[in-house]
Amino acid sequence: MTASLALAVLAISCLPKPAGESGDLTITLYGFSIMKESLEKAIFPGFRAKWKQEHGQDVQFQTSYAGSETVTNQILQGAPAEIAILSIDRDAQRLKKDGFVTFDWHSLPAQGIVNKTPFIIIVRKGNPKGIRDFSDLAKPGIRLIHPDPVSSGGAQWSILAMYGSELKKSEKESNDQDKPRALQTLRAIWKNVISTPGSAREARTTFELGNGDALITYELEGLLMKEANAPIEIVVPQSTIFSEHPAVMIDKNVAGGKRPVIDAFMQYLWSDEAQEAFVKFHFYSTTNDAFNQANPVFGHIEMPFAIDYFGGWDRAYSEVIEKIFRDQVQRK
Amino acid sequence: MSTIVSSMRHVRGFDVARPLSIGMLVFMMLPLVFLPLASIFIFGTSNGLNKFWGALMAPEAIFALKLSMATSFWATVFNVIFGLFAAYVLSRHNFWGRNALIVTISLPTAIPTAVAGFALLLLWGPYGTLGRLLAPHGFQIMFTAGAIILANIFVTFPLAFGVIKPVFDTMSRSLEEASATIGATRWQTFWHVTLPSLRGAIVSGALLTFARAVGEFGSTILVSGNLAGRTQTAPLYIFAKFNEGQIEAANAIAIVLALFSFLIFSVLFFARDWLDVD
Amino acid sequence: MKAKETIIPNPEPRASIADPSRAAASVIGISKRFGRASVLENISFDVAEGEVLVLLGASGSGKTTILRIIAGLEMPYTGKVILHGKDVTELPARERGVGVIFQSYALFPKMTVEKNIGYGLRIRKRKRKEIRETVNELLSLVQLDEHRKKYPSQLSGGQQQRVAIARTLAYKPEVLLFDEPFGALDTQTRHHLRREIRALLKKVNVPSIFITHDQEEALELGDRIAVLNVGHIEQIGTPFEIYNHPATEYVATFLGAANVLDAVVRKDFLEIGSAQIPAAALDPEKFKPGDCVKIIFRPEDVSLSRGDFLRSGLSRISTASIEEISFVGAYERVRLRLDRAEECRTDDTPYYLTTETPERQATKSIIATRSKPEASATRLHVGERVVVALTSFTVLPPQRTKST
Repeated sequence: MTASLALAVLAISCLPKPAGESGDLTITLYGFSIMKESLEKAIFPGFRAKWKQEHGQDVQFQTSYAGSETVTNQILQGAPAEIAILSIDRDAQRLKKDGFVTFDWHSLPAQGIVNKTPFIIIVRKGNPKGIRDFSDLAKPGIRLIHPDPVSSGGAQWSILAMYGSELKKSEKESNDQDKPRALQTLRAIWKNVISTPGSAREARTTFELGNGDALITYELEGLLMKEANAPIEIVVPQSTIFSEHPAVMIDKNVAGGKRPVIDAFMQYLWSDEAQEAFVKFHFYSTTNDAFNQANPVFGHIEMPFAIDYFGGWDRAYSEVIEKIFRDQVQRK
Repeated sequence: MSTIVSSMRHVRGFDVARPLSIGMLVFMMLPLVFLPLASIFIFGTSNGLNKFWGALMAPEAIFALKLSMATSFWATVFNVIFGLFAAYVLSRHNFWGRNALIVTISLPTAIPTAVAGFALLLLWGPYGTLGRLLAPHGFQIMFTAGAIILANIFVTFPLAFGVIKPVFDTMSRSLEEASATIGATRWQTFWHVTLPSLRGAIVSGALLTFARAVGEFGSTILVSGNLAGRTQTAPLYIFAKFNEGQIEAANAIAIVLALFSFLIFSVLFFARDWLDVD
Repeated sequence: MKAKETIIPNPEPRASIADPSRAAASVIGISKRFGRASVLENISFDVAEGEVLVLLGASGSGKTTILRIIAGLEMPYTGKVILHGKDVTELPARERGVGVIFQSYALFPKMTVEKNIGYGLRIRKRKRKEIRETVNELLSLVQLDEHRKKYPSQLSGGQQQRVAIARTLAYKPEVLLFDEPFGALDTQTRHHLRREIRALLKKVNVPSIFITHDQEEALELGDRIAVLNVGHIEQIGTPFEIYNHPATEYVATFLGAANVLDAVVRKDFLEIGSAQIPAAALDPEKFKPGDCVKIIFRPEDVSLSRGDFLRSGLSRISTASIEEISFVGAYERVRLRLDRAEECRTDDTPYYLTTETPERQATKSIIATRSKPEASATRLHVGERVVVALTSFTVLPPQRTKST
């Protein structure tokens, strides 16, 4: 009796060994929520093979995924990330501000943007509530799942998408940005939000479990869901924003000896191989538009825009996210 | 209904209050406890046992379970030993500040676990008050399994102590005095006389601490770094899988944790006679 | 005719043993304070080899404290404890080699009887063979062989006590200390055990100190008794001495019913009321003519008769009328009111007089017991007048009549 007890105690007292520990090179990458599939299924294996071939070494990846803001906060608190792929450039800037990132990633290919995807609306199969555009989400009785802007970069993109699309549409109609109308629409939409999960991925899971009528998210999420035969439909709005995802090296955490492999990985992200892989996972490539043609299921966006429509992230954040959304929509 | 009840009361031998109150109890527990637990089991096996087993056997899942076991084990060992020591000192000696100390020991349960995790980060993180002094020398405990153990120790701190101290308080001093007059040193008395009487409290305190540590989430997610296959405990794994939309995988591990807790509390319950002080 | 009287001059605090170095255990000048309050004052006594000494006192008299000081569980304020010639006052309990039998027996609940008994040897790291043999010996000594594998909770009170004793005997203690060991038992068991324990102690020949508040127990158990009164020893002596020749009123009344009368010392005799009793043996140093003293006598020392005819050896003290007669089974108890008031009054009034109404305080009432044969030989009735005489009495010196 005591022997088996001792054995049991021995069994649970030993800390498990992480897979492939000794001797391997490890890269620690923190990514925002929707990056997981493309990285783990295509990018990592691809890079591993390449590095093995060139240098004869095995590379292991340690990963952690969460909402973009959460990832950034973790790194700021000292999480041992060597590379971070974030949802919004502003988070990268936060890292730079505190000295975690010392170089300017905008000098990297595609200004440091690894991939991008437009923001669309996901609805239930058959589109029972008849949603065609962002403004339809303002209709009474619509229940919307929207990630929390505090923790999710995707949430901030979504707000910019909604607000920006209204501005774009009014521009087209009357040649002038109708800010009050955009604000009005934003307010009305936000009233219909029933849940604000912490990340875009979480929001998707919540929606998949049957909550809500609509979800604003990255197009690639919708495409992945359709691939998995989820009973949903993708509604491509008339005008929407393309979210751009920067990849940065946290040089504060990178030991000298690791620089070569980390640099190589960063370069790899913009290689054709990687970019094509991203497209397969329904991201838009940022290096070569031709790759994007290869993906037949991308939606067609009539009036796309990007962050520079707002004059860059700093202005977008302070003017739209803070002054308009936080102060006038959320607080009311 | 009330007329039926009152007329029943006059019937000799049949007390309607009994089945009524039992029924009410079960009825209240259904939506609050039974059904949620049952739903995990039902859902987990609804896709077939193959998928369930597959989810369970995933290397990251097994790692997460093992990590949870090991970190909870060491946190328990520490807190039981500390609980014994603290109960001994605080029960036997009276000194200025004693009551304040007892209250402080009990504090961690009142603190939200996220706050606990955050506090640990602020202290020991690479940019934390103490952590930044240690980091240059290569000591960084945050974002490792050690941080999980530390967080578990904090969160389950008063559990074993709370079970052991009352036993100390009610233990007769004359047993220890008898042992002393017989010729035993303080250590011999503790080992041969005091400890055996505490056996029950130690075991139940340990089980309580362990069960609580295994389920810990709020502080772990902050201090561990949540690295899959490295510092991801079982609850963190469940959460991550849920976020990824892999509900079956999340569910499989949830079932394992639920069964495990059930096992622990069954042991506590059925062995309570053996565990009881004489 | 002279009555048998004994005069106890100031009782020596350390009676009976002339040479302290030959005593098995000695306590010298022990005092103890709790804060300002003095709990023990100048306690000194010896215990000889193989002797049973009983510390008798009411609760609060300090007897438990003395025991704990000898055991080493408490430190005295002043004084020494000496065991077999060795001064152990500074030593902690575990180095003294005392055996303590606690009131609750303090048997280790998670150990069997054998393990309890063997404990003392186990912690002294003796060889297993030695432990086994000693435990077997002791088990048969206290007759608990069949219970060796039982746990304390499965034993009766008496059995637990025997285990407690065996446990201490295992390591050959210098002295055994019993803390009111019979308190938790019913009367039947108590009587039975008293005799057993005493026999056992004589057999193993270890000096023992008992503490109790029960005077009957003290008389039966002790070779000598020390009577304690609020922190100091009033008298030490054999049961016979203490009972028949109490040194103070407190000792007298604690040991059993006692009658107390005032008397005045005169040249060659004592004046008790109107009676005069020859008392030439009084120490002239202590008893000066004119001194007001107390005499103490037991109810069984009283002889009642109808006429003035006295048997030899009796001292007539007064006539009295019978107030009450009670039949108490083995004997008859008679309450009498003496005729004459006493000459000198002290401040203390024996407590059984406090029920008297004021106008009756002038006369004294005493208790007498008459054996069955005597009672049936001479039948007495309430209201009768009889002559009261004493077969024996003790005189207390003037300065010792103060009871606390």
